[in-house]
Amino acid sequence: MRTQAAYETVDMMLNMGPQHPATHGVFRMVLTVDGERVVDVTPHIGYLHRGSEKLAEHESYGQVVTLFDRLDYVSNLNNELIFCRAAERLMGVEPPERAQYIRTILAELNRLASHLLFIGTYAIDLGGMTPIMYGFRERERIQNLFESVTGARMMHNFIRIGGVKEDAPPGFAPRVRALLDDAERGVAEIDRLLTFNEVFLARTRGVGVIDAPSALSCGLTGPSLRASGVAYDVRKDYPYEVYPYLSYKVPVGENGDCWDRYYMRVLECYESVSMVRQCLDQMEDGPVMAQMRRIARPPKGEVYVHGENPRGDIGVFLVSDGTDKPYRVKVRPPSFCNLVALRPMMRGAYIADAVAILGSLDIVLGEVDR
Amino acid sequence: MTEQPPAGDQEQAAPRPAAHRGPPVEIAEETLSPSGERTAGALRLALRDMMVASGGRDDVPWARVDREHLARAASACASSPNLGMDMLHCLAAVDYEERIELNYVLFSLARGHKAMLKVDVPPDDARVDSLTGIWEAAGWHERETRDLFGVEFAGNPDLSPLLLYEGFEGHPGLRSFPLHDYEEW
Repeated sequence: MRTQAAYETVDMMLNMGPQHPATHGVFRMVLTVDGERVVDVTPHIGYLHRGSEKLAEHESYGQVVTLFDRLDYVSNLNNELIFCRAAERLMGVEPPERAQYIRTILAELNRLASHLLFIGTYAIDLGGMTPIMYGFRERERIQNLFESVTGARMMHNFIRIGGVKEDAPPGFAPRVRALLDDAERGVAEIDRLLTFNEVFLARTRGVGVIDAPSALSCGLTGPSLRASGVAYDVRKDYPYEVYPYLSYKVPVGENGDCWDRYYMRVLECYESVSMVRQCLDQMEDGPVMAQMRRIARPPKGEVYVHGENPRGDIGVFLVSDGTDKPYRVKVRPPSFCNLVALRPMMRGAYIADAVAILGSLDIVLGEVDR
Repeated sequence: MTEQPPAGDQEQAAPRPAAHRGPPVEIAEETLSPSGERTAGALRLALRDMMVASGGRDDVPWARVDREHLARAASACASSPNLGMDMLHCLAAVDYEERIELNYVLFSLARGHKAMLKVDVPPDDARVDSLTGIWEAAGWHERETRDLFGVEFAGNPDLSPLLLYEGFEGHPGLRSFPLHDYEEW
């Protein structure tokens, strides 16, 4: 009888994407497999590269906001916020308090909508068809609210350098409160349905584990980093807008596996709901736009500003040469940096788990490719 | 550069209502916050003679080093007990035409430090050491920078195009790369 070593085996290459339904966009990875095990993975990105950073050098500061909308098209308002904060820091403008509250409310609702989408699509990746219906139901309410506030469901272009475009519409606070009650119930429903489901646990527990040191080395941020036990949240550690006035917990995981990465986001949903409620309680009437020149023209200089996006730590390196157009806009997209951790997570996993691991990173390709 | 008002703002002739007025604009100064000063001190200590210039804004001090010292400076930042930079947060290249400036944004989550390493490379010999041995995150940042700015990173095991496709000519991040009259097909 021949032993296993006597058989000559070769590693096989398995292509996945860019049209694969589980890659959430145009993402391709080439898996090197040995039987059922993944030996190595090579991600290929760039299918959606639109040169946003280059385009931004040719637009005025106000127009760049629209480009940021289109980076991470699931959390547009968070993206707008980070660019406006960078430009404001360069100009030394402090937006009025009411504007900061509106921004924080919108950013947190946007985070909630983004996480709801993640939970739904992640369940689909793993074969659960129901949660996405619940997720989309709640997300739709939030999108409708955004439409009533900003005029657009997705590409809002609402946050301006120095404040927001206009004040919240009449009846905003009661409407948001009603929405929050619904959303909280909806999240709890999905939570009950999915989180401790036995099949879901079997597919995610102990899968795609990454420890804290290698997560840091890969530049992993956001809920995915917190799942590995690093309590780092920009809102808490380097507070901006009105986050210092809010009380909330930062959920931290233990194992750094897919289930932890999923559960961090579920817990963040509850935190976001409570944060928005606190904002509504604290918010007072007032101006929503700082008094400044119509055309933003920051003085010469450069600044690095970062903030917490639903997917992780987004950073903007902004260089001004004193004209009305930025000299250089560099975005540090969280999805792009999180994807670096795909290789250490996937090595040694089963092919079937590749989808579970990729899904747990919650990438948005518009932001990866820019 | 011609002055163009943002789209949709042309018909804004009427003055804003008084309720919309906020605080007046102040010009921000480039100064370090107290925590930034502390990081700057640690940075000075870790880099010593390698630092050729320094500055900073808020809590992000920066230090400029010569490109032959980059790898040594970066590993000093990563291993210095006072700095302990455990994350390469961002690599931002800026094309100043006569030089390409590479900005390595470093974070220490354990100590709450942020700092920036700056390196200048000449555009006709854009070459610098790779930092993949220190932070794994450097790999993709360097590939992106090579795609868009043509900077070569010696020691990066995989420098195949990341954002652009195989065979793309030119480096679109450079100021000299045309935006509008570029035709692909």
